[in-house]
Amino acid sequence: MAMPGSPRRRTSLTALLPTAGLLPLVLWQIVFFVVPVALIVGLSVWRRENYRLIPDFTFNNYAAILARPAIWRALLLSAETAAFVTVVCAVLAYPVAYFIAKKAGRWRGLLLVAVIAPFWVSIVMRVAAWRLLLGERGVINQMIMALGLTDEPLSFLLYSPVSTAIGLIYAYLPLYVLPLYAAISNIHDSWIDAAMDLNASPARTFFEVILPLSAPGLVVGAVFCFVFGLGEFVTPALLGGGKQLMFSQVIQDEFQRRLDWPSGAAMAVVLLVLVFASLALSMKWIRRASGEAA
Amino acid sequence: MTELSPNAVELRAVSKVYGASTAVREVSMEIPRGAFVTILGPSGCGKSTLLRMISGFVTPSSGDVLIDGVSVVGAAPYERDTAMVFQDYALFPHRTVAQNLAFGLRMRKVAKAEIERRVEAMLELVNLSGFGDRRVSQMSGGQAQRVALGRALIVRPAVLLLDEPLGALDLKLRRQMQAELKTIHRDLGLTFVAVTHDQDEALTLSDRIAVMNGGALEQFDTPENLYRRPATRFVADFVGNANLLEARLGADGRVEAQGLPLALFLTPAQRGGRAAGAAVALVVRPETIAVGAAAPESHDGRVEARVEEIMFSGANQQIVGRLPDGRRLTAHQSAALPAPERGANAVFSWPSQSVWLVDA
Amino acid sequence: MNRLSFGWALPTYSVVLYAFLYLPIVVIVLFAFDAKSIPGLPLEGFTTDWFAASLGDARLVGSLLTSIRLALLAAVLSTALAMPAAMVLAWRPVRMKSLVLCLVLGPVVLPQLVLGLGLVVLFRAAPDLVGQPAIVLAHTTMTSSYATLMLYSRFLGFRRSYIEAAMNLGANEFVTFREIILPLIAPALIAVLLLAFTDAFGEFVVAWFLAGFTETLPIAIWTSLRQVISPKIYALSAVVILVTLAVSVSAQIWILGQSRRESEP
Repeated sequence: MAMPGSPRRRTSLTALLPTAGLLPLVLWQIVFFVVPVALIVGLSVWRRENYRLIPDFTFNNYAAILARPAIWRALLLSAETAAFVTVVCAVLAYPVAYFIAKKAGRWRGLLLVAVIAPFWVSIVMRVAAWRLLLGERGVINQMIMALGLTDEPLSFLLYSPVSTAIGLIYAYLPLYVLPLYAAISNIHDSWIDAAMDLNASPARTFFEVILPLSAPGLVVGAVFCFVFGLGEFVTPALLGGGKQLMFSQVIQDEFQRRLDWPSGAAMAVVLLVLVFASLALSMKWIRRASGEAA
Repeated sequence: MTELSPNAVELRAVSKVYGASTAVREVSMEIPRGAFVTILGPSGCGKSTLLRMISGFVTPSSGDVLIDGVSVVGAAPYERDTAMVFQDYALFPHRTVAQNLAFGLRMRKVAKAEIERRVEAMLELVNLSGFGDRRVSQMSGGQAQRVALGRALIVRPAVLLLDEPLGALDLKLRRQMQAELKTIHRDLGLTFVAVTHDQDEALTLSDRIAVMNGGALEQFDTPENLYRRPATRFVADFVGNANLLEARLGADGRVEAQGLPLALFLTPAQRGGRAAGAAVALVVRPETIAVGAAAPESHDGRVEARVEEIMFSGANQQIVGRLPDGRRLTAHQSAALPAPERGANAVFSWPSQSVWLVDA
Repeated sequence: MNRLSFGWALPTYSVVLYAFLYLPIVVIVLFAFDAKSIPGLPLEGFTTDWFAASLGDARLVGSLLTSIRLALLAAVLSTALAMPAAMVLAWRPVRMKSLVLCLVLGPVVLPQLVLGLGLVVLFRAAPDLVGQPAIVLAHTTMTSSYATLMLYSRFLGFRRSYIEAAMNLGANEFVTFREIILPLIAPALIAVLLLAFTDAFGEFVVAWFLAGFTETLPIAIWTSLRQVISPKIYALSAVVILVTLAVSVSAQIWILGQSRRESEP
């Protein structure tokens, strides 16, 4: 039989288990995620004199970077590219997600995994492959020329915003298929049948039943594409060439080449604000949409 | 342990409060050793919470739980001498049938040879000899149910808890398992506490039934008393079928059933010490009602009603009559008896000794 | 009943899209076997020399081994951090749960560039850690988010009655964990370990900022991309890619099969 005192001691020990389980990860994320972000935010209000960092509380860095036209150009290019990539990814991903969710039968698991698998290949290797494909003497140009479509190689394919966009679309397509697939497979076949049974044409069924019901997937995918696209660094650095810089490249340049950490930090904060604004916006939409459903 | 309590389980005014809602309200109950007790009630009545307080998965907000006369509040599930048959069986999918059965014994550090012997014996008891090496995923619903029962029985717990044990089985299998469960209970002499929302199951299996509603214990009694002498209107309505007629107690032992020409004389036991003028409901079981052109001599409760519906169900027919004031009265009688004509008036009658009163 | 079928359009389109997804991978593997020393069409001849050459390149092989070692450490560390946390988040009431989830999942949405720069600033306080330790710490931060997310959903789907049954039969918390929880989530745990490894192995941006003199394979490839690339890079990449695909596909199919098995009664 249990001793009178022992149950209570046990309770206090097991009461500690949740904290003990959560604490290491929370501490880790505070030190290696929250603190670095806080440091960047902190640095953005410091100032730099003679290549030395001086603690301060000034918004001069923000004023200075926002006065530079190059910053605005880079920001605009990043936003445009991210938006373009998001739209193209949505259009490209939707039919495939629909196919996997509704038509693939017992192959759906394998097909879904096959969509995501390239995502796990190192980004550097994927980008290296696109250089082989897009270069002036790359696979695509040589094939086009062999087919006699042009005499000269298409030079805009590599080291331009076009190649950056292609690389990003390639990189984010799997990320878009995933939430779309989840949303579309939640649409019951009986709802589609019901719409058709009520004499809706296939097109109306799609636009009035299927598309609205897959909206959550579209939004989640769009947020990920756009947010990742805004801050992406490797792809533009390797495929974009050096002429038209994306925002992330400008930040990296400010930090590593110009060594102006406070200005670079201010730019990083601008990027963070944009990222979290898009996240907050989409969260609000999702909350409202699910609130309506309930 | 100094003295052996006669009760396997004793609940003393246990309550469980979750935030603003009370799942269990001041329930007290004594479950004698060797009894088969069923906690019966609609879903959400707190019956599962009560069972989980006995097993230790839920800590009562107040009150005391005693197993074998010792308070176990604060003791972990693994420190209690209870074993549970789960609603979804919860058979460990990565273990064979025999390994599932052996689990509780291994935890109790029983010697290996002893474990093997007892597992063999248990496989035999639950009619699964030769199935020991099967994976649990290969078991049918009925077989899985037996494994779950065996896994709990094998540790010979002070109390065996059954959470809707037959709920996942189809009707025929359920009947068969009810019989097996009753046999096993009788043969082993263990204390069984089951939870169910199925009143037939409760009436068939149990020595005693605890009817719960809205977190409170309505009545804890033998199946027969529950049926014949329900303590509350809820119990009368929930256990079996009942016609409930609003009425008022008269001074001279009569009942005035609100406009109905009833001349019932009730015994003091039936009146239950209620004073004249008390608002009550008459509980008239459908099978005590006879329907015909005239009432039998012994039936002193009589009303005339229009026959609204006759439903045939094999051995019985169910006759629904409508009283002049709109109330309905349902009678069950043998299908061998002549059926009244639908739409015609008939006399619905019953003997006053079959009537019971509950507070309105 | 004529369902929305689209005839052959949908399957055909899907084939084209899968081709697009696997085109770069095919190209790398193709050039890894081509005899020409400056990759390009037309293919000149079949050779496996580049594989031998890449294995003979001490610097390249060194970076590969470094990557494997660091990714292994990060995978083990992040899984070890993620598992107990995911268990608590899925099973216990946690105060300020949404705040904790934000904290844990933040690194997923944070631009890698910003995390990398922030860590550069952080490691100014501990310059000795720059290099291999910093890379492991950073990758653990990133992969533990994914690991927590995946294990969280696995634990949410875990049938609580298994645990209750074990405790009811006399197993305490630790025995229940060892005998019931661990064996049942082992496949998911291994899958998460593999995916965390793959993720850390291929990560470039943050590693590059924190590398110091350390060279991981992605960093080595990045560096070589600045010059004309030798096919031996493609040969090594081809091997790594095929291994990555095999690992990630099997890990994910494993997870898929698990969730399917669990959803059956």
